[in-house]
Amino acid sequence: MTLTRRDMLRLAASVAAAPLVPPPARAAGGTGSATTPAAGRFFSAAEMALLDELTERIIPADEHSGGARAAGVGAYIDARLGDYDPGIPGLRAERDQWKAGLATVDALARELAGVPFLEAPAEDRVVVLERLAAGEPDPKTDGERFFVELKRWTVFGYYTSRVGIHDEIEYKGNSLLVEFAGTDPATLPAVPPREDPRPVKP
Amino acid sequence: MLARAPAPPPKDADLRRTYDAVIVGSGAAGGMAAHVLTSHGLDVLLLEAGKKLDMESELKSMEWPYDHPRRGQMPYTSHALRFNEYTIRQPPYARGLPWKTVYSYVQGWGGSDYSKNILVNEQDHPYTGTRYAWVRARVLGGKTNIWGRLALRLSDYDFKARSHDGYGDDWPISYADIAPYYDKVDLYLGISGHPEGLAHLPDSRFQRPTRLNAAEVRLRQSLARSGRVLTPYRAGVTTDGLKHNKYRSRCFGRGACGRRAGGCDIHAAFDSPTGLIYPALDTGRLTLRTGSIAREVTVDPGTGKARGVAFLDAGSGQALEARGRVVVLAASTLESARLMLLSRSQQHPNGIGNSSGHVGHNFCEHVMGPGVFGFVKDLVGKPRTVDDGRPGGFYIPRFRNLTDRHPSFIRGYGFEGGSGAEMSPKSARLPGFGASYKRAVREMAGATIGMGGFGEVLARYENAVALDPEVEDKWGIPVLRFSFRFADNEKKMAADMAEAAREIFEEAGIEVLDVDRKVLTEGWSIHELGTARMGTDPRTSVLSPFQQSHDVKNLFVVDGSSHVSASCQNPTWTIMALCWRSCDYLADQLRKGDL
Repeated sequence: MTLTRRDMLRLAASVAAAPLVPPPARAAGGTGSATTPAAGRFFSAAEMALLDELTERIIPADEHSGGARAAGVGAYIDARLGDYDPGIPGLRAERDQWKAGLATVDALARELAGVPFLEAPAEDRVVVLERLAAGEPDPKTDGERFFVELKRWTVFGYYTSRVGIHDEIEYKGNSLLVEFAGTDPATLPAVPPREDPRPVKP
Repeated sequence: MLARAPAPPPKDADLRRTYDAVIVGSGAAGGMAAHVLTSHGLDVLLLEAGKKLDMESELKSMEWPYDHPRRGQMPYTSHALRFNEYTIRQPPYARGLPWKTVYSYVQGWGGSDYSKNILVNEQDHPYTGTRYAWVRARVLGGKTNIWGRLALRLSDYDFKARSHDGYGDDWPISYADIAPYYDKVDLYLGISGHPEGLAHLPDSRFQRPTRLNAAEVRLRQSLARSGRVLTPYRAGVTTDGLKHNKYRSRCFGRGACGRRAGGCDIHAAFDSPTGLIYPALDTGRLTLRTGSIAREVTVDPGTGKARGVAFLDAGSGQALEARGRVVVLAASTLESARLMLLSRSQQHPNGIGNSSGHVGHNFCEHVMGPGVFGFVKDLVGKPRTVDDGRPGGFYIPRFRNLTDRHPSFIRGYGFEGGSGAEMSPKSARLPGFGASYKRAVREMAGATIGMGGFGEVLARYENAVALDPEVEDKWGIPVLRFSFRFADNEKKMAADMAEAAREIFEEAGIEVLDVDRKVLTEGWSIHELGTARMGTDPRTSVLSPFQQSHDVKNLFVVDGSSHVSASCQNPTWTIMALCWRSCDYLADQLRKGDL
């Protein structure tokens, strides 16, 4: 039995009862329209602005730590795609899908809100992303497939960043330990067998 | 504390002389052969196809991802094969792909920029036939540079499996034969673990165990109620240090094992160069020649015995021969079989040591993929602790078909798993986005627990490799053609793995988030075994119980190819124990003039 998306969302929600629309951003950077990102190595200035906002919507700043924008996730994705060797046709197609994916987001925003994504109000941006994320376990449309790829890169970029590792997750490792502070099994109490042991399936 | 001695200086090989032994391959088996044979006073030449790398500058185990320009990933001029590519394409997988460098799936993990010089480029090293995720490391030390470190013993449930369930063949040795050599390997290389007193997973001579964290303790106690065991990861890692080895540090719990493809730049985790080869070089009796691509075991036309090894120099392409009184193959299960098949002569028309026709056959390994992932509710939102500062999480030994009989499959499987916070949290695989997603990932980062199964693939004659009649590698050497498929027993076992994993978590009160039922491509476990199996009957086996060719008495094959069945326990420690035993015998026979 693999859990459905609904089950997993319920489980996630049960441990993190937070409103779906994020509170106003605490970290520097503000909303996508407040600053005008420059063109990247791969993306145009307009595409960078959209990418930046999308990544921040996936992992926003909150009261605990900065979000994808503060972690420079958009710039990271742009740098990685700029690394591609454009002389190799198969790779060019893969890169073009990113530009097409951003265009798909704007097209969906126009369809649902009547304006491009960055011109839409915050509630409508969430609606657009919810539509794209609905296919996450089994993406079918171009937009849904783009969301999976965008989220994969955003998650990797964010949780490998300084902000993600230290501020958000507060990872304590990657240090020299004299001894790991866990439980030595020799110190555990013996466990009585189950009174009605579940029959080991023969 | 972390200061270690540098590698000893190299010494040039003298190809005009005849060495006592020529070894092909420098991984777990080749390194062990070099150690044991030099300790007996023999003059040994070790040939390795790849380079000697400076692992400290390759691995940089403690570099933060954000201090690396691509967060540890290799550049996009390279490509790592994905599960889908292994599934929908046919080998040779790299053919027709636009990348100059194509790697096996192992290079698709987060830390791939640190292992890119360790693994082979599939463009240069193709293979053909049925789908197979073949992972190869052509470098001094081979795959021991990045191995998973799980160091387990086999038992008579494995060595005498036929007697137990009637399938296949018993090994020509029993646990009592190999137990003293497991002890030697434990003490020479260091192993961490907790004794459990299990007949089917014998205890080693352990250094102090890695400890369990909270979710793992819960799972251990729950399993104990059903008479099952969860034990701390039995790691081929020195947790107390080794006074006799100046090249290796003890483990300092840096958590670097979690960054894959892996590797330990303080060499607390066993690797063949620092654990075996450098100390052997210090005896003055070992000569190491890297960049030496073996292509044939040469034969004395008068006696039919092995004369040495023909090889190509990787730098110049020059064809050379190294001569030895004994030839020891340790090139890996599949490469040693390939070498034997390549070594055709008048005396050995089917390949050296292959009068039985069994070389390349009875190829077996482990099936993997199914597993479970979840979290412990009580641990959600707890303050962060160091959960990954150890060589591994836990191991749940086999529980199927020991005292009972499962109705749908024979043999068994074990689970490898772990729990707790890591540098990049596993909870990030939750669905969704936004503030609720971010908070869920954070609060669950220390509460997640997961495990996956490794099951025995039955040895079958028809699962085999042979030489491809047309395709050659970069060096003009015929490549392997695979005829290898999982069958009914593996598929039913894999289905049970997923179901049992879920049940085990649910009984322990762990919230199950995902049950993975997907069986990964053949080869994924990197535990290929059995292509030149041992036996007492020269008509149905290739090697004697001392890994000596039945046909050619000065030819030994000391790697995983000699295994009669795969067991479900990881093979590296057994490879080394068997090799030690065989090399003791080899040295004794050579001294007596019987080779």
